[in-house]
Amino acid sequence: MKIELFYIPGCEKCATAGDDLKATAEQVIPGIIWRELNALDELDYVVELSVLTLPAVAIDGEMVFSSLPTSGQLRRELSKRKRS
Amino acid sequence: MQQVSDVRSNAHLTIGKITGLARVSTDTLRYYERERLIAPTAKSAGGYRLYERDALQRIRFIKQAQQCGFNLAEIRSLLALRGSNAACCRDVRRVALEKKLQLEAKIKSMKVMSNALSQLVKKCSGDNRPLDDCSILVALERAEGVKRKSR
Repeated sequence: MKIELFYIPGCEKCATAGDDLKATAEQVIPGIIWRELNALDELDYVVELSVLTLPAVAIDGEMVFSSLPTSGQLRRELSKRKRS
Repeated sequence: MQQVSDVRSNAHLTIGKITGLARVSTDTLRYYERERLIAPTAKSAGGYRLYERDALQRIRFIKQAQQCGFNLAEIRSLLALRGSNAACCRDVRRVALEKKLQLEAKIKSMKVMSNALSQLVKKCSGDNRPLDDCSILVALERAEGVKRKSR
């Protein structure tokens, strides 16, 4: 499974929350791929995923969170995907 | 609101003057006023609205932002950002980037619509057959699950 966090440089909450979210993801799915992508460098990809607001989080190439999720929200989403 | 006795004063522009310089109609300017994007700062002795010279730049800003796809509510936010001491260029870039993403999503969805229409046009013979046999109407009705009454 792969998580992609899209951010804009200068987003302070992305930097602080990103570490917590990454830790949560690794707890739920050890070895999960975690990528943090500068939306300005990956504009075509961001458009392809239909991201409308930033920061945003995609899981396995699918836009799932249009803002930063809480650790609980991410945990629930990953657990659900793990089961299915 | 300040009352100005001499409308020839260089500090103020009448509605006719400012709309002429900004190349917008008076209706447009009044619409901007109703939308709280711009406001006259003074009135002449005769009761005419007068605008400061800065208003001209503001109108140009609004027009340019509209051309970039921003709606008036978004332009109001942009103007607020422009006047905020706490904001910086990065904040404006975020707004512009999110607008671009919205436009790209619209383009994508319009491309899907356009492709769907291409398919319908391609399938239609376009001859003199009656409307009941028109493949475009039939396909649209089938998609909605509605049976068209015969004419």
